[in-house]
Amino acid sequence: MFRLNLKIAWRNLWKNKGYTLINAGGLAIGLASCMLLLLYVSYEWTYDKQFSNYDKTYIVFNNSTTPNEVFTWKWTPRVLAREIREKIPGVAHVSRSSFPEEKLISYGRKNIKKNVVFADTEFLKILDYKIVKGNADKVLQDVNTIILTESTARSLFGNEDPINKMVKLENLEALKVEAIVKDVPLNSSIQFDYLLPWALLERRDVGIRNSDWGNNFCLTLVQLQDNELFGQVSVQMKGVFKRNEQGTNADAFLHPLSKWHLYSNFENGVSVGGKISQIRIFFILAFCVLLIACVNFMNLSTARSEKRAKEVGVRKAIGSSRSSLIGQFMLESILLSLIGMVVAFMLMEICLPYFNGLLNINLIVNYSDWKFWSVLIGLTLFTGLLAGSYPAFYLSSFEPVEVLKGLPVAGNSSLLVRKVLVVFQFVFAACLIICTAVIYQQLNYIKNKPIGYNKAGLIEIQIQGNLKDESRLVLLKDRLLKTGAVSSLTYFSMGLNETGNSTFGIGWQGKAPNYSVLFNYRSAGYDFIKTIGTSMVAGRAFSAQFNDSLSLVLNEAAVKAIGLKQPLGAVVRVWDKQLTVIGVIKDFVMESPYQKAAPMIMYHRMTEVSKVIVRLNQAQNVSTSVHAIDEVMKELNPEFPVDRKFVDEEFGQKFKDEQLLGTLSNWFGGFAVFISCLGLLGLALFMAEQRKKEISIRKVLGASTMNVLTLLNRDFIKLVAIANLIAFPLGYIIVNKWLSAYEFRVAISILPFAIAIGLSLLIAVLTVSLQSFKVARSNPIDALKYE
Amino acid sequence: MIELKNIEKYYANKGVKSYVLRHVTTNIKQGEFVSIMGPSGAGKSSLLNILGMLEEPTYGQYEFMGEDVVSLSERKRVELYRNHIGFVFQAYHLIDEMTVAENIEAPLLYKKVPGSERKSRVADILDRFNMVAKSDLFPNQLSGGQQQLVGIARALVAHPTIILADEPTGNLQSVQALQIMDLFKKLNEEDGITIVQVTHSEVNAVYGNRTLHLLDGVVNEERNKIG
Repeated sequence: MFRLNLKIAWRNLWKNKGYTLINAGGLAIGLASCMLLLLYVSYEWTYDKQFSNYDKTYIVFNNSTTPNEVFTWKWTPRVLAREIREKIPGVAHVSRSSFPEEKLISYGRKNIKKNVVFADTEFLKILDYKIVKGNADKVLQDVNTIILTESTARSLFGNEDPINKMVKLENLEALKVEAIVKDVPLNSSIQFDYLLPWALLERRDVGIRNSDWGNNFCLTLVQLQDNELFGQVSVQMKGVFKRNEQGTNADAFLHPLSKWHLYSNFENGVSVGGKISQIRIFFILAFCVLLIACVNFMNLSTARSEKRAKEVGVRKAIGSSRSSLIGQFMLESILLSLIGMVVAFMLMEICLPYFNGLLNINLIVNYSDWKFWSVLIGLTLFTGLLAGSYPAFYLSSFEPVEVLKGLPVAGNSSLLVRKVLVVFQFVFAACLIICTAVIYQQLNYIKNKPIGYNKAGLIEIQIQGNLKDESRLVLLKDRLLKTGAVSSLTYFSMGLNETGNSTFGIGWQGKAPNYSVLFNYRSAGYDFIKTIGTSMVAGRAFSAQFNDSLSLVLNEAAVKAIGLKQPLGAVVRVWDKQLTVIGVIKDFVMESPYQKAAPMIMYHRMTEVSKVIVRLNQAQNVSTSVHAIDEVMKELNPEFPVDRKFVDEEFGQKFKDEQLLGTLSNWFGGFAVFISCLGLLGLALFMAEQRKKEISIRKVLGASTMNVLTLLNRDFIKLVAIANLIAFPLGYIIVNKWLSAYEFRVAISILPFAIAIGLSLLIAVLTVSLQSFKVARSNPIDALKYE
Repeated sequence: MIELKNIEKYYANKGVKSYVLRHVTTNIKQGEFVSIMGPSGAGKSSLLNILGMLEEPTYGQYEFMGEDVVSLSERKRVELYRNHIGFVFQAYHLIDEMTVAENIEAPLLYKKVPGSERKSRVADILDRFNMVAKSDLFPNQLSGGQQQLVGIARALVAHPTIILADEPTGNLQSVQALQIMDLFKKLNEEDGITIVQVTHSEVNAVYGNRTLHLLDGVVNEERNKIG
């Protein structure tokens, strides 16, 4: 019975190749989209979950409460870890680690810049990276040791055995290779290429060695003995800052490692989600695309029911029960979804490299994982059953006497259901078009919004090695200007796009005692205004003609935050120094382009600068200029590879999330529209066939091709128009919600809605006409002859 | 074997009842060959469908082998039907996607006959109808007469006690029609299968040993031959 049914199902699919192609194609695209998105969702979902005790591991976060706002950081003081270890019971391990930064490491003649994290010994107990070579017990204990990842080891040592060899850190420290660990997985929040002992960091930096409760710069990881102790430890943790430093505004709390990546936004010191909302969107998108493909199938199968009606009648007349008919139709749809899955599988493998490139991640299909296979099989069965359910129940309900007499079976109810299904598909498609259009509008708006300086043709060069010497910097400036590649040049304490370095330690006359504002602080060199291409609102910037060691430049936001009516000449206390304001600079975007600029103070201290900012000579070709700059850098600082970045490229990184959302909704929205069109094509195909006789009679009576086309397209246009009307409010709610998260946002205009209705109607008319044109042009006699 | 008492069938449309069958009362005994005759619209097919349990009478009593069909549950009825009734249609109604052999095998599948027995029964019947060479063809590759042979073979393969035939020769040329009628006669006489046929043609009607004349839903009985 089963084999025969399978055979019949196969013959049926083969006989109606067109429908099979449309159906299986739609299902394949739906399934492939769904699987790709699910693959991505699971990639994000398993972030930081590679470690065996990840569920017991927490990150200590720091809430700083000011009267206006609560700031939440993951950066904590150096002394916190010891305090937790000694005073808070229930904690199994606690470790400190530093913010990953690039540092030069070399072996023999090989120099590479790689990400380093300084960490305590217990770091590797909490996060059990797999140690491939070396002694696991002794790692990170001796000061002059280093742990490399496999790929770092390979690029430094090639095929040599690296264990116990000496490498050099920034050409200063000699370090013995103690162990090799497996490369850090890409979906891990802490990324490093090599690990160094925390003791080394403290030895190299006096400031860090002497830092106390007021300085937040290290990541503190805590592993509990048991998750039941979480409540108790949390209570202890809350007051840890207040117990140790009088008058602090900070509180500590534990945030689970597993939630670090997806729940990274905090409001008023409480987790309010983060990337998880994007993941949810993708998850929903995945299933909606699949659902649309299923709807296609339901639509086409019921539309073709008349062709199957006779078979149902005969089967019932020779003794088939309804349930065995349902089983047969289900089998057919599962077979079809199986074909769809096989095609989807190929599609997915073909698309994966491109998808990875698009998202800049590395997804792979893990064929040895049972979870992958069970999801695959589950998805196929789910699709088959879902898509087959309605047709199976509908088709099997036919009365044999009626269908065998040749009475029409397509009742009004099934026609209505089909219409509802088509409307549903197009509601979804139109919503996606609206959302995608708004996402792109918002992206464009933010990208074209003036950022306060001219980021094109601007290069940042890291100050490292012997350039840290001020006299070498002067030499560098001379040499660069002489090449003609550079029109002007300045120094800055951070990259223009980097965040961080902020303080509450700014005071002024008349500041209310409990008023505290967070200020960004930077050190800038001469020619800053000219180089980055901004302007002063009042006063002047730092210049060689003056002695600016006690001068201060504020941005507009800072003037507003302090409440200065007469900024020029005002005295502001920066930590323990009184500085005089000599100028006000226009606000420019350093952090998020979606928010207003934060208050910033700038002083002139050459000891703190870390970047050379270079304005390229516009008269010269960019690649020649860059080449000339590289030559100079290599000559003056031969031991370090050139580390320079284009400011506008770095700036583009700030749009990564929105760009990703835009790209994905564009692609998958496109797929959804395409699948819907396939469904529409199938329906039109069927409709035209069914109405052949009617059309022939109309033509005999004198209808023109155009009349017939209008007649055939009208119904579909009506459906798509209704779908759009439903989609408009829905889309409005969705985009409104999405946009409300941004301080700077586009006003919702009529354009996205116009695009949605225009595009969906155009596509629908084109699809339907593809088929109806053929019918409208055919000779009426052919259809009438056999009646 | 079959007892009909006061069978009525009507369709109510906007309060107006249009009668298809009125007060039909008749008996059909095991081994009979009954022809139902009458003009178009007289209710012949309805009567046959009611006999075949594909339709329910609006009113009246129907006993099939001592069981009251009207009050039987759906499941029991399908059971009874599967085991005793074979249908033959005017338009053959073979399943286009199945080969000749598969079409014949289908009712056995629903009766859950084991595989080996199915094979032998299908082979037997193909042999008996001289259609072995055609067993792997699809219905559209056969002539009308051949298709109807397959239709009859399909009805016979489940060993029914009664065959209900709705104008079995209506779509056939006269020579083929003759063959089919001869076959029915043989089945009736040699295998003792009860046959009820609906027909337009007097020639076919005389193959039976009793004729029911239907006119506007009312039965007139006539016996042509005894024995």
